[in-house]
Amino acid sequence: MRKKPTIIMLTAALLLLLLFTVPLWKITLSAPQYPDGLKMYLNIDGISDGGTGDLKNINIMNHYVGMKEIDQEDFKEFEIIPLIVIGLVLSGIIFALLKKRSLILLWIVIFALLGIIGLYVFYQWEYEYGHNLDPKAAIKVPGAAYQPPLLGKKEILNFIAGSYPHIGAYLILISMSLAAYSWYLLKENK
Amino acid sequence: MKLANYLLIGILASLIIGCSGSESDSNGKQAAVNANDPMLSKGIGPISSIKLDPKIDQTMANKGKEIYELKCTACHKLDEKFIGPPPIGIFERRSPEWIMNMILNPEEMIAKDPTAVKLLAEYNFAPMANQNLTEEEARAILEYFRTL
Amino acid sequence: MKNKTLLIRILISLLGIALIASCGSQGSNNGALGGDAAAQVYVAPGEQDEFYAFISGGFSGQLTVHGLPSCRLLKTIPVFSVDGEKGYGFNEETKPLLNTSHGFIPWDDSHHPELSQTNGETDGRWVFINGNNTPRVARVDLSLFETVEIIELPNSGGNHSSPFTTMNTEYVVAGTRFGVPVPQKDQSIKNYASKFKGALSFIKVDPESGEMSLAFQVLMPAFDYDLAHAGKGKSHGWMFFSSYNTEESHTLLEVNASQNDKDFIAAVNWKKAEEFLAQGKAHKMPARYAHNLFDEKTQTATSTIMTEVNVLLPEECPGLVYFMPTPKSPHGVDVNPTGEYIVGSGKLSANLTAHSFTNMLDAIENEKFDGDAYGIPILNFDDTVAGVVESGGLGPLHTEFDDRGNAYTSFFITSEVVKWEVGTWEVLDRAPSYYSIGHLMVPGGDSQKPEGKYLVAMNKITKDRFLPTGPEVAQSAQLYDISGDKMKLLYDFPTMGEPHYAQGISAGRIIPNSKKIFRLEDNEHPHAIKNEAESKVVRNGNTVRVYMTSIRSHFAPDNIEGIRVGDEVYFHITNLEQDYDVPHGFSVMGAQNAELLIMPGQTETLLWKPLYEGVYPFYCTDFCSALHQEMQGYVRVSPKGSNTPITWNVGG
Repeated sequence: MRKKPTIIMLTAALLLLLLFTVPLWKITLSAPQYPDGLKMYLNIDGISDGGTGDLKNINIMNHYVGMKEIDQEDFKEFEIIPLIVIGLVLSGIIFALLKKRSLILLWIVIFALLGIIGLYVFYQWEYEYGHNLDPKAAIKVPGAAYQPPLLGKKEILNFIAGSYPHIGAYLILISMSLAAYSWYLLKENK
Repeated sequence: MKLANYLLIGILASLIIGCSGSESDSNGKQAAVNANDPMLSKGIGPISSIKLDPKIDQTMANKGKEIYELKCTACHKLDEKFIGPPPIGIFERRSPEWIMNMILNPEEMIAKDPTAVKLLAEYNFAPMANQNLTEEEARAILEYFRTL
Repeated sequence: MKNKTLLIRILISLLGIALIASCGSQGSNNGALGGDAAAQVYVAPGEQDEFYAFISGGFSGQLTVHGLPSCRLLKTIPVFSVDGEKGYGFNEETKPLLNTSHGFIPWDDSHHPELSQTNGETDGRWVFINGNNTPRVARVDLSLFETVEIIELPNSGGNHSSPFTTMNTEYVVAGTRFGVPVPQKDQSIKNYASKFKGALSFIKVDPESGEMSLAFQVLMPAFDYDLAHAGKGKSHGWMFFSSYNTEESHTLLEVNASQNDKDFIAAVNWKKAEEFLAQGKAHKMPARYAHNLFDEKTQTATSTIMTEVNVLLPEECPGLVYFMPTPKSPHGVDVNPTGEYIVGSGKLSANLTAHSFTNMLDAIENEKFDGDAYGIPILNFDDTVAGVVESGGLGPLHTEFDDRGNAYTSFFITSEVVKWEVGTWEVLDRAPSYYSIGHLMVPGGDSQKPEGKYLVAMNKITKDRFLPTGPEVAQSAQLYDISGDKMKLLYDFPTMGEPHYAQGISAGRIIPNSKKIFRLEDNEHPHAIKNEAESKVVRNGNTVRVYMTSIRSHFAPDNIEGIRVGDEVYFHITNLEQDYDVPHGFSVMGAQNAELLIMPGQTETLLWKPLYEGVYPFYCTDFCSALHQEMQGYVRVSPKGSNTPITWNVGG
């Protein structure tokens, strides 16, 4: 029985390694001309379109209203986030082996704070892209902004933009829950 | 009782006649008397009877020759089998009405007239072409054939 | 007594009613179709059809793609004729496809599409089609729906009995309709019978790439080889060719080639031919023919002139060819799905002749020959024939099969489709066609796995079926539902050129392979550029190459100066788009050829020879975006010998 919280905490930490393979977030744009929708994924190390070429098509659409081209090079965040994830994995492993409840709680709190910061940064990007428009844009709609929603659906001109957590985000939730369960078991075992 | 039966048979008979009548072209009159004797058959088409003047109308025949040479010689030679049969001697084989109906209404003739149907098979199913001649033009050709 | 009278009266009355009914239906022709026929061809907006139909474009030289049952036209694939709409045969990339030993040929008469098969089933990879006039066979790739290969046929004239495939597309064949001197030379036409020959060509198809090569030709007497079909199942390994003009006439064939009561179906044992080739029995004959191949990577076609062909002479290869006498001038020669029956449609007779493959082999084994023609053994009609369909019609042309043991034959002269049962040879049903049907098609109807739901009749005469359009009217085709006991006419639709034959296939066998774009990273066109920064204009003597890109909604560069009268300007345009259905067009004022229509990720080249100084606009022809009308540019042309420097830019 003594091993169970350790194994669960180890799982919580190691699960985060999967974040290197699956996206955190998915943004979709659909319109009558795009029956399958345009899709864009946020990974911990960059933006991708899963090889569909959709990112390029989103940029083509965006340039008509003067939005800045989405270019991975513009985001320093993607250099830092993988390091943060590795840090969480390593500290999680150490805390699991130390079996100290307070450390595990600390891990959860830091993790949660990072998550909130992440969402805030994400919102900032969206605001920046949606509002910082080229004054020479071909299509200018007075007062319009093109900021996609943080979560959920929103109509932007002829598109419906959707922004939803993807597998990575659910992994984070599972990881946090496992850590919390480990924390709970340690309490019981005392 | 008997009267009723006759009436019914009468209605039936008129139906059969009406039905077969509607099969032929609306502008065509069935002249199917003795359809199997080519000399008596008038064929199927707009011409039901013609009176030929014993004296040949040379002007009309000349006109007919002109039309024949323009519109018929791709398939007919005067005295030998070609794509179609020769016109020389045609009056010994066919009635004047049949000849004109064959010129004016070839599609129906090769589909329904027993003599024309036989002729089509004999000539490898090369159908008589409809050259869209007027009755007057066909009549002129007929007159020309009389001079041959 | 009373009862009897009553019964008679009732019977007479019933007969009367029946007459009225039949009278009515004759009078109404086909106009009184129930609403269910409309529902059967109705494919709701946004819905897709169940089958693809590939219909030959006849003398348009092209191939049209329709959806069934809606009969909607989905695409015209240019094959043997240039097509300004797509720049086919006008842009530098596709010009080599139309090269022949007679030089560049901008037109042909395309007759019979044939889908590739695997295990006797249509596999949706390629569709082959023959060019009749300057004998050729083309291969259309069904991931692109574009012509990717054309091979010319030497020693041939009128490639009509073509391009029928074997069960695994080992070969597509090409039998010549017109006898010609072999090799071609100055020759008196009167020597037709003695000096002319008829070649049956066997084109090998690479099972992976689909690339064609002329494997061998069988040099036959100069009959007119009309159509063909491969054996399948038990008769796999044989190819059957119908022939007419066994009279070997060379003038007024409508009379002179119709004299013999029977002509021949030539049965060619191609597996035996492979043995003869391996034994070195082939004569290597000098020949000149073009082999043109489009490379998807470089997106460019190349043309190679070949100089030799393997020829087998039947008189030197016993067992290679046999003749089966068949009445009268057989047109279609069609093999039923089991491969047992070879059905000849004698176009000048009333009846169909079904030869039995088993009987044929038996007659060959027992050497029951009725003499020979030019050293080719002739089998006895009575030995090979398995059944005769007493059709009641006239002028049978072509037969296809369903998956329930039935056959459907077109009758040109009596203008109808006749359904009959294979084996019993009994006529089951007949339906009129409007008018004078030539070929017919059941999806998979010449394979081992027909999908017997619909039948398409391709008619030779249209007359009053559609609104009048002057002396020239569209061709007419008809769709029938053949799933029930009775054939049911569903729909009339116009087609292009004169459709000679068609193929149909379940859409599901094609959709998964259909490409949406060309991937930019795979584009190996020698003049492709992958981004705007690489765009440039390069002069080399009188040749100027413009390396241009297109993307919504501009060309780069869009201002070009330094071109001079007398220059040959090549616009190499790469469409940088990577989105489905975003082609860009390109046209420049005064171009003496056509436009370019460039698919996403593709590079195409237009040659432009400006004749006069001036400033000429170019623009995108395919409405691509809200700012399509802004997608334009200028090219400045200076006088000959002027020293305006070459410059280019976009947005600067």
